[in-house]
Amino acid sequence: MADDSPASHRRDPIKSSVGNVAAQRRRQNAVTVGKERRESLVRAKRLCRVGPSADGDVPVEGNDMITDEEEFLLEAQTSSAVEDLKSTVAYQGKGAMQKRVNALRELRRLLSKSEFPPIEAALKAGAIPLLVQCLSFGSQDEQLLEAAWCLTNIAAGKPEETKALLPALPLLIAHLGEKSSLPVAEQCAWALGNVAGEGEELRNVLLSQGALPPLARMMLPNKGSTVRTAAWALSNLIKGPDPKAATELIRVDGVLDAILRHLRKSDEELATEVAWVVVYLSALSNFATGVLVKTDVLHLLVERLATSNSLQLLIPVLRSLGNLVAGDSHTTSTILVPGLEITDGVIKVLVKCLKSEHRVLKKEASWVLSNIAAGSVEHKQLIYSSEAVPLLLHLLSTAPFDIRKEVAYVLGNLCVAPTGGDGKPNLIQEHLVSLVQRGCLSGFIDLVRSADVEAARLGLQFMELVLRGMPSGEGPKLVEREDGIDAMERYQFHENEDLRNMANGLVDKYFGEDYGVDE
Amino acid sequence: MAMVVDYQHDLSFPYWTSTRRRFDPDSPFFSSGNIERELLAKQVALDLTEDERNQLEKMVAKDARGVFCPIVGCGARLISLEDFEDHYNARHTASCSVCSRVYPTSHLLSIHVSEAHDSFFQAKVARGYAVYECLVEGCGLKFKSYKGRQQHLVDKHKFPTSFEFFKKALPSKKQRQKNHRKQAMHKKDEEASSKMEVENETMDGLVSAVSKLSTSDSSPSTVSFGRRHTRGLTFVPRSVQHEKRADFRLAGAKR
Repeated sequence: MADDSPASHRRDPIKSSVGNVAAQRRRQNAVTVGKERRESLVRAKRLCRVGPSADGDVPVEGNDMITDEEEFLLEAQTSSAVEDLKSTVAYQGKGAMQKRVNALRELRRLLSKSEFPPIEAALKAGAIPLLVQCLSFGSQDEQLLEAAWCLTNIAAGKPEETKALLPALPLLIAHLGEKSSLPVAEQCAWALGNVAGEGEELRNVLLSQGALPPLARMMLPNKGSTVRTAAWALSNLIKGPDPKAATELIRVDGVLDAILRHLRKSDEELATEVAWVVVYLSALSNFATGVLVKTDVLHLLVERLATSNSLQLLIPVLRSLGNLVAGDSHTTSTILVPGLEITDGVIKVLVKCLKSEHRVLKKEASWVLSNIAAGSVEHKQLIYSSEAVPLLLHLLSTAPFDIRKEVAYVLGNLCVAPTGGDGKPNLIQEHLVSLVQRGCLSGFIDLVRSADVEAARLGLQFMELVLRGMPSGEGPKLVEREDGIDAMERYQFHENEDLRNMANGLVDKYFGEDYGVDE
Repeated sequence: MAMVVDYQHDLSFPYWTSTRRRFDPDSPFFSSGNIERELLAKQVALDLTEDERNQLEKMVAKDARGVFCPIVGCGARLISLEDFEDHYNARHTASCSVCSRVYPTSHLLSIHVSEAHDSFFQAKVARGYAVYECLVEGCGLKFKSYKGRQQHLVDKHKFPTSFEFFKKALPSKKQRQKNHRKQAMHKKDEEASSKMEVENETMDGLVSAVSKLSTSDSSPSTVSFGRRHTRGLTFVPRSVQHEKRADFRLAGAKR
């Protein structure tokens, strides 16, 4: 990875860094490394630093702050390793294969040493065509493995670095086949997973080259790291935005069964990757959602949510549940019928997530509850009388903004009846009164004060319910007491016309001339 | 059994409707979960310090492209929604310690304080000095009367003709009841020299013009400055009966 600072495109290694300039450059480097590191952390690509056989011949370095000199050295070594590889590939004589494997291994080590492999140096030296050659059919497993490993780490870098793998793709896909040894197939899957993680364009290339069926088949066995890697690669491959791949995947023979089997029985690590596959299946493909809800998948997801404490697993499982509920009204209306055991189970695990300390779980659990609360009156009653409400009320006043917004959706949905055919906005007074008495109004008024248009809208809509629906005309007094008028007055100078009109409308209607006169 | 209350609605307000919400997998709604996924997966080989975690959270927040203050004419860029609250309280709330009215800038607040609570100000007015300052910062012109300033704002600075700097505050409940009784008895007994010259015509104009305001110019589109912090008739209700209002005098002005 080259120094990104515009000032020094070419660093002079002979001069030693002295004093201020050096310190400044190190600081600059640190900022760049910091940014790069953060970006690499959140990328959907993963470096392979330890091989499938976990050979301990390379110490994995934890310290990523390498100096300019070290970096330059690494790049130089990489270039020369590629040169070596070139000569071994050309060489046809005795022991050629071993020489080639050694050269590949050297390059692989250089590309696995640190968090920021010298990818650019490798590419500049012409590594790709050589690696492609090393993937040719009939090559020894060790050679294939090392070559695929090099490609994996090259593909874990920046977009243009990942794209450099294009010539290698058909071969990588070919080596996923059932005749390949498992470690080789797994390493190729890993490389392809990184490529798929880059973006839609590369995903489409992989799909059109037929990457999906062999990867899908790799998910069928009961266990093994290969299954896990394949599931991860698949999740990157089908993530769309085109739903075609997701639909294609669920149709592959044995895949649905394998997914259910892994969700039911496999260890948490494997179940995690499979759950992510379900996340994308349920978010993108209506067909897949339809197929899934006819199985006992909801039960399996509830089981996992109830028994696991691994955040890594809980996130995709919860989200899968959320997607299945959100994607099809059929789920709520036909499967999660109030009174059934499965429905109670779902509410229970959602409550467990609300109690979690993890922000993502609280937010997404609230989202799922809001969708269930968007169901029938019976659904609303079910949630209203569950353990969820006290938790939600607490979250509304204490949680971070993104959680509060979702909680607002749940509580508001509990207070309005399903929209009838004539579109009349009827409210459920019993729920409204109780929730307001328990102090939720100030939380909604806080949302009105935020800069987020959607949240402000929710707050104003809820205020309207209170103003209209509280018995004995209590609404306006309650709103005033919580500084609701003040909150609405912010919209006088607000840029958003909708919000201005909403706020104006409420003040006009409920805090007009005669407000408070007949007391 | 939950009671379902029927209501006759008017079409202009977008009522709360409970609907299912679905998100695409690449929706920003899911981004914190996605980031968490990658962090957890890579943490095996890495040591994320507390500092780095915070940086990452900030990065996510920045991905939402920060927040711009939505108050007309402000445009301040804020890092997060939490920041917005601080910004709003610092910049857009200046309240009068005497009558609790709130103004969006300290400049306007100070003008209000002089004009509403300072007897020396009133004395100068009575003697014919030009003490009514133009509201636009940097203009600096002064006028002998409220109305004169008003005209200047409209002519020179393109304020809407219905603009009112000083809004009548809603008096306390006691005062309102008193006023109602008084009104019934002394309907014609108008005090001629109101120090706060809110003319009847202006009031009419105000009522009808409020609804026609737009934000095409730089001045705020709605006209009510000086709303009381705790009580709020800042928006002039469309159905207001202006004759009644003209009789309301600010109790405070008489103190």
